Amino acid sequence: MKAFKIGMPIFLILLSVFFLVGSLRLPKANLGNPYGPLYFPIGVSLLLLIFSIIYFIQELRKLTEDNEAIKELFSGRTPKLIGITILFAIGYSLLFERAGFLLSSIVFLGALLFLINGPKKWITNLVVAVIFSFISWYAFSEMLGVSLP
Amino acid sequence: MDMSTFMQGLTTALEPMNLLWIVIGGFLGTIVGMLPGLGPATAVAVLIPVTFGMDPVSALILMAAIYYGAMYGGSRSSILLNTPGDGSAIAATFDGYPMARKGMAGQALAISAVASFIGGLIAVAGFILLAEPLANFALKFGPAEYFLLMLLTLSAIISLSIGRMVKGFIAMLIGLMLSTFGIDTQTGVYRFTFDIPHLSEGIDFLIVIIGIYAVGEVLYNLLTIDKQKKEKKKIGKVWFDKDQWKRSKWPILRSGPIGFIVGVLPGAGGSIASMISYTTEKQISKKSEEFGEGAPEGLAAPESANNSASVGAMIPLLTMGIPGSGTTAVMLGALIMLGIRPGPMLFESDPGLVWTFVNSMFIGNIVLVIINIALVGLLVKILDTPAKVLYPIILLLAFIGTYTLSYSAIDFFLLIIFGYLGLLFKLFDFPIAPLVLAVIVGSDMEQNFRMAVLSSNGSLGVFFQSPISIGLIILTILSLFYPLIMKLIRNRKRKHASEQRKGA
Repeated sequence: MKAFKIGMPIFLILLSVFFLVGSLRLPKANLGNPYGPLYFPIGVSLLLLIFSIIYFIQELRKLTEDNEAIKELFSGRTPKLIGITILFAIGYSLLFERAGFLLSSIVFLGALLFLINGPKKWITNLVVAVIFSFISWYAFSEMLGVSLP
Repeated sequence: MDMSTFMQGLTTALEPMNLLWIVIGGFLGTIVGMLPGLGPATAVAVLIPVTFGMDPVSALILMAAIYYGAMYGGSRSSILLNTPGDGSAIAATFDGYPMARKGMAGQALAISAVASFIGGLIAVAGFILLAEPLANFALKFGPAEYFLLMLLTLSAIISLSIGRMVKGFIAMLIGLMLSTFGIDTQTGVYRFTFDIPHLSEGIDFLIVIIGIYAVGEVLYNLLTIDKQKKEKKKIGKVWFDKDQWKRSKWPILRSGPIGFIVGVLPGAGGSIASMISYTTEKQISKKSEEFGEGAPEGLAAPESANNSASVGAMIPLLTMGIPGSGTTAVMLGALIMLGIRPGPMLFESDPGLVWTFVNSMFIGNIVLVIINIALVGLLVKILDTPAKVLYPIILLLAFIGTYTLSYSAIDFFLLIIFGYLGLLFKLFDFPIAPLVLAVIVGSDMEQNFRMAVLSSNGSLGVFFQSPISIGLIILTILSLFYPLIMKLIRNRKRKHASEQRKGA
């Protein structure tokens, strides 16, 4: 848990360094002030770095304090639950344009329901997945004219 | 104000189709707002795609109704389940939940609905008085003033994240950084596009909003999903008795204007408004010991204040195009998506739209008070629908909404990234509003800054030239150092007191 807690400020420091280097390497403008597009990102990423370092120091001081939410994250089935939800979401993103809206949405929603609501309630899960996907397909593509794959 | 445009707005809002949108929006908003842990920002973010293909006026009416409905809905879950959907609903739990526990759920719901209604009415009246003068004032703003105004809004919202200002700054800076992605409009330089053509237009801030408020919130709620308690509450008669009304009447009328003024201020919004009105009432009440134990006025005051603040917050949004809070930032996103560019010119170019919007808030209030009192049984049944079914549906809606923005599944990956970022922010207790606000105003802020500097041939003196600018700078500095100043004063008082004690 400590590693996770200190991971956030470290991640932020790395992120700001990444942005700072990226900002310094931005191409100069051919129009107007050549450095015009650079000032703002450089300034912002520099400030981000400074504040991330302050945050790092603050966190180091209270590393041993408990954080309820993070405790929750590592308890029971939550880490699995969140991880798999994100994996399903990635799968959906890959499937969406290939399999079409209706099919991929039924699979995605069904999978999420089985994961979150539990396989015991499989009838509810199936019914909700199919009906809701169909309603949203109908509402968006037929009523609102959004072209879905 | 021009009376004819006001009346025109009223008639537009009263058209049968638009009335229907108010009812639908109010109902949908109430449902999402009622879900534990989800508030108006999520409701608007998730339901934005519903407005696709609608004409802007109806879409605007629908969005306003959703926003409003979610405010009402948020109070439902505060009172019945003790789980506020967002900051502005927290104060409603102080006395609303104890009332419900004492078996007065019905009365609590009725008081909250009526208080919200009256607060909303007071604020609409305030809006009519204040909006146009403020829009005219904002016409005097040049790039330098706009830049400073945005700076003030951001610093105000950071300083309100009391006790976690460093995190507030980090959130804001990440938001500003994200707003630089894409082609620089002044020079055509590509910034942070990582050679992905899709990123050349930058990151659509609606994706950030949907990612953080919908995906992130759902992921965060998964943490406790197995622990969410089922509480069956007997609602009883949904009306209050004479004594409760007598106690609540004045608090409601006092809190309306307080909430409105707080709502107009940059960065403040419903959470602060409801807290201020709650503490004010507690201080002046003769029965202050009953506060927190189920005092009806302790519920009525914050409910009135947060609703009127939500209308007040529309003033800087519509007159200057500057949202004052996370939720209004989401509303701004919805407006821009509808092709409406809020700002001082909006009152000149499209007064009909503005007044239709205001009137639809007014009518929305009436409709919602009816929905919330008449349909309470149905609403409570919906609240019984397991969250385990509703959260997956919200996730799916978030994806559909994102797809409708650009017809590209590439954005799904951005959505997931921002959803995860939203989860991390919640886990590590970062305020989300500064990030969302910064993403939205960031590129305007940069462009205004550069235009101002350009107009003065590279001198920063341009920011100190007009009295408005200087006023804004002073306010910015004050807002940032206000917490520090208060701390110093408190310390000094304490020292003083302890010295006196020693002396005695």
